[in-house]
Amino acid sequence: MNSNRLINRIARRHFLKLAGAGAASVALANFLASCAPKSDGGTLNVLVPAAPDPAPPGVGQFSLDAFEQWKKANGFEVAYEAPPWPQLHDKMAANFASGQYVHDIIYMSGWVPEFADYLIDFTDELPADLVADLPPSSFSTLAWGGKRLGVIFTLSLLTMFYNKEMLDGIGVKEAPKTWDELKAVAKELTGGGKYGWVLNYGAPEGIGGVASYWMCFLQQAGGKLYDDKGQPSFNNAAGVDSLQCMVDLMEFTDPGSLSYVGINDATNVFAAGQAAMMMNWPFMWKPANDPATSKVVGKVNAAVLPAGPAGTASIDGTDAYTITSLSPNPEGARKLIEFYLDAEVQKRQVLDTGWLPIRLSVLNDPEVQAAAPNAAVVLEQAKNPYDSYVTPDYNAVTTAIGVEIQKALAGSQSAADAIKNASDQVIEIVKKRG
Amino acid sequence: MQTTNEYNRKRYRLGFWFIAPAVIVLLIVLAYPIFASLVLSFLRVRFAGQGLSFEFNGLNNYADLIRKDLFREALFRSVYFTMIEVVSVMLLALLVATMLNHPLGRSAFYRVVLLVPWALAPVANAVLWKWIYNANYGILNQALLGLGVIDENIIWLGKPWLALNMILIADIWKAVPFISLLMLAGLQNIPAYLYKAAWLDGANVWQQFVHITLPGIKTTLVISIVLQSIWALKVFDLIYVLTKGSPADSTVLLNYLSWRETFSNLDIGYGAAIANVLFALMLMLALVYIRALRQRQTQTWRGSKP
Repeated sequence: MNSNRLINRIARRHFLKLAGAGAASVALANFLASCAPKSDGGTLNVLVPAAPDPAPPGVGQFSLDAFEQWKKANGFEVAYEAPPWPQLHDKMAANFASGQYVHDIIYMSGWVPEFADYLIDFTDELPADLVADLPPSSFSTLAWGGKRLGVIFTLSLLTMFYNKEMLDGIGVKEAPKTWDELKAVAKELTGGGKYGWVLNYGAPEGIGGVASYWMCFLQQAGGKLYDDKGQPSFNNAAGVDSLQCMVDLMEFTDPGSLSYVGINDATNVFAAGQAAMMMNWPFMWKPANDPATSKVVGKVNAAVLPAGPAGTASIDGTDAYTITSLSPNPEGARKLIEFYLDAEVQKRQVLDTGWLPIRLSVLNDPEVQAAAPNAAVVLEQAKNPYDSYVTPDYNAVTTAIGVEIQKALAGSQSAADAIKNASDQVIEIVKKRG
Repeated sequence: MQTTNEYNRKRYRLGFWFIAPAVIVLLIVLAYPIFASLVLSFLRVRFAGQGLSFEFNGLNNYADLIRKDLFREALFRSVYFTMIEVVSVMLLALLVATMLNHPLGRSAFYRVVLLVPWALAPVANAVLWKWIYNANYGILNQALLGLGVIDENIIWLGKPWLALNMILIADIWKAVPFISLLMLAGLQNIPAYLYKAAWLDGANVWQQFVHITLPGIKTTLVISIVLQSIWALKVFDLIYVLTKGSPADSTVLLNYLSWRETFSNLDIGYGAAIANVLFALMLMLALVYIRALRQRQTQTWRGSKP
């Protein structure tokens, strides 16, 4: 009797243990399964920035009906992940490092060489009439290792924006055309709590921060970041002169610029009429002329960036769509990108969000030119150099440069020392790249 | 008939099965990342441009830590940040807790209001401070201008030491509520009769504070110091939102540097080495915390004996 009870107790205990272990395994498996991305072939997963950065229909508020129709006609659902722009790089780095499929389409900006092995070349399969309607630069900044790994969807070069009324106030009818004119006009306009120039120098890295702005000045001075062998080649007169121009401008720059980490921080100052000039991406035209967000409506004009000793120059925002190599449905992804590049969608993109199209036919559309007069300026700027110098170690290189530039702008070291220190660090980074 | 030893053995075995799921989860979410981070720090992880590959790198990542000025500066700044924050938070929290322990401050309303900064999401808190510190439109500049304390806007986040200290203030503001409540709990454990006896013996307020209050909350203080030190060492969100390490890397602390090297620069091995240094510092503090807790449990156990 006792032994029977003991057996029963043991059996019950064993049963409990097995049931507990089983339940835990099922729970763990379910949890892990729920963490895995959907790859059912019917859903396209897309990683893009949140608006107001350049976002596609469904994240940006344009072409929503057309987007719904496209999904129905092609039998796809589109699942967006749209974090703020600064989080994009981290997200894609973590996703790629995991080796797991997460997204079919990924927005890229300057990181194509960095993630080249995770992207596919699909550009040969794009319709010929679409490719013929794109400027050659739509692919050149996305080429790495002999492949074209994406397609640009917005013409996005840095150009000059200025407050006509403020310039008129000192008798200046046109935007400054040279560095000397820029400094002279900025000086005239500084005073009484207003400044000649504003930018976000608080972020060191490229595309969104101070390193990119310096790259414009560097090319205007006739300099290059790398020589033909890929070695840093900016520790010279062009490198120092370009930074010295920025340092000279600091006296007439909103001192808050050193603390602004995002372009919107600087844009707010310009839109409030507190600063007369800045360089910015083309999207700025629309918010600067929106009465809800701007006090300078109707007073804004755009121009090509002032020329240095070698002429004007800019950088390219390289806003592009790419397809990941782990996508189970690259064909569907390509079709979606073609939809994003559809002429009507491109037109709504600029009319509703301010981000310029990349298609030449849309850029030349009279309605577009009327709504975005800066488009002609960007096209003019594009006739001059606009290299963004993207490399696999773009973030490390530009952060190292940006930090040294910040020290020079704050007056804690000379332009020459900053350029030398930056060059030494970039040499080390390039050496480490191997 | 079962012996006591046999009974205890079975009890422990059954107990082990009950805690096994929790142990497994802890191993997955805590032990594995710690182990992986340790292994990564001895590797050179190539990621950028050529896919993920691993190569044994010996102690080179740790040698880089010693060689690079930025790491040493970040370590110094982290220690400075932690020390100033801990001292400030302890003093302010003790002040707040003492006020809340006063009969006039015992309304639940005050405690709810006190918790607001602590309950704010970290990024929301950081964005709030970003607007407060804004050079042109920030309320701090406007208030100081209005009061005549300053005659022109100050760029709070534009100068190296100033920016670091402004981040420090924002973090102190967020940390004070929780530590205040910890201290309040400690204060409420001190029997009121001790104060009455001291008052009868002629002790003034300061003497009561030094000889009754401080000894009474000694363990709470140690726990608060250790917890706050750990939180201050791993500050990240405020730096990410407010300055991104600027100006000129002057607000780069260890946790931010580890993130930047790992996720932005994709130097994963070096980033892991930095994270491990941070982990070692926090582990030491955690050991002190465990010791302090054990001491309190022992005191409580002794105190509960007749």
